Amino acid sequence: MEIAPSAVRDETRQHEEAALAALVDEYASTLYRVAFSVLRNAADAEDAVQEAFLRVLRHRDTLGEVRDHRVWLIRIVWNIVLDRKRRAKTRPETDDISELARVLPAKGLSAEQRAAAAQHHAQVLACVEQLPVKEREVLMLSAFEELTSVEIATVLEITESSVRSRLFRARNLMADLLNHSRSIR
Amino acid sequence: MNSPTNKAFHPRSGSSEAEETLRLIANLPAPQGLEDRVQSALRKAPRRSTLLNWPAGLAPARTWMRGAAAAAIVFVVVGGGWGVYLRVQPVQAPKVIAMPRVSAGGGFSSAGAMRTPQTLNGPVLVTPATKPANGTVGTGTKKVIPIKSAVNKIGHATKAAAAAR
Repeated sequence: MEIAPSAVRDETRQHEEAALAALVDEYASTLYRVAFSVLRNAADAEDAVQEAFLRVLRHRDTLGEVRDHRVWLIRIVWNIVLDRKRRAKTRPETDDISELARVLPAKGLSAEQRAAAAQHHAQVLACVEQLPVKEREVLMLSAFEELTSVEIATVLEITESSVRSRLFRARNLMADLLNHSRSIR
Repeated sequence: MNSPTNKAFHPRSGSSEAEETLRLIANLPAPQGLEDRVQSALRKAPRRSTLLNWPAGLAPARTWMRGAAAAAIVFVVVGGGWGVYLRVQPVQAPKVIAMPRVSAGGGFSSAGAMRTPQTLNGPVLVTPATKPANGTVGTGTKKVIPIKSAVNKIGHATKAAAAAR
């Protein structure tokens, strides 16, 4: 029995679309959190997630060759958000405060406490922004509990030992920066 | 899932504070309906080029339809060309063609302009009159008086004037 090429094409396409839909359902929220941690804006983070999946759609032929879809997708969205952040102007601290006040969990907190917490986190994030790029990237990715150091190394295309040394440096620098900012204030 | 990076927790309070903030942001929940919005964006995205199948009514087996389609295409192309030929009249070529002046070098021409430098008046060379061979002075030339005789003449005239007084 001869199978028509169009039937094979349709079947392949349906299979690819089903695989892509499954990836969206499983990893969209993870990608969103990665994007938000860098961009700190809900709309921008959602845009970045959509762009990441559109890139996957364009290269869906290679989906079968990918070993770890989760790390692969995080790497795609990570590159997208870093690129967007490079192009965007420096984000003022007031934007962070207002956005954090909006999104942070407010369970059992008064409005004043919530505003104070948002301000504190924004100050910490401003110090994080002062870190060198390499150290900052490792520190931010290490905040994701679902990412191991091996996976962070894969996302950043470095070795695992580099991840560890950069993380050590980042923590020391971060402590100094926060102490310095407190002594000024 | 375990994270080796988080196991080695740094004792310094500043770094732990920063990591606490980063972890808090990293664990923020994604907005409701994110997956649906992404799915709809993927559905709206332009697809790759695909081959279109012939409709069943226009199956390639019907050769007369192919011939008719080819004839219609030829008719449209030839008819269009004929229409353009009828409407567009060829422009009469001028009998005298003015060729633009092109300099030999191929660059910009000077358009016939000449540059005249502004200079000071130079010395005028006066040629001394030459005595002809037969002793006569040439027409239009002054008689050249030797300086010595001219001085003597002035001296004699002065002495004569003094004697007359």
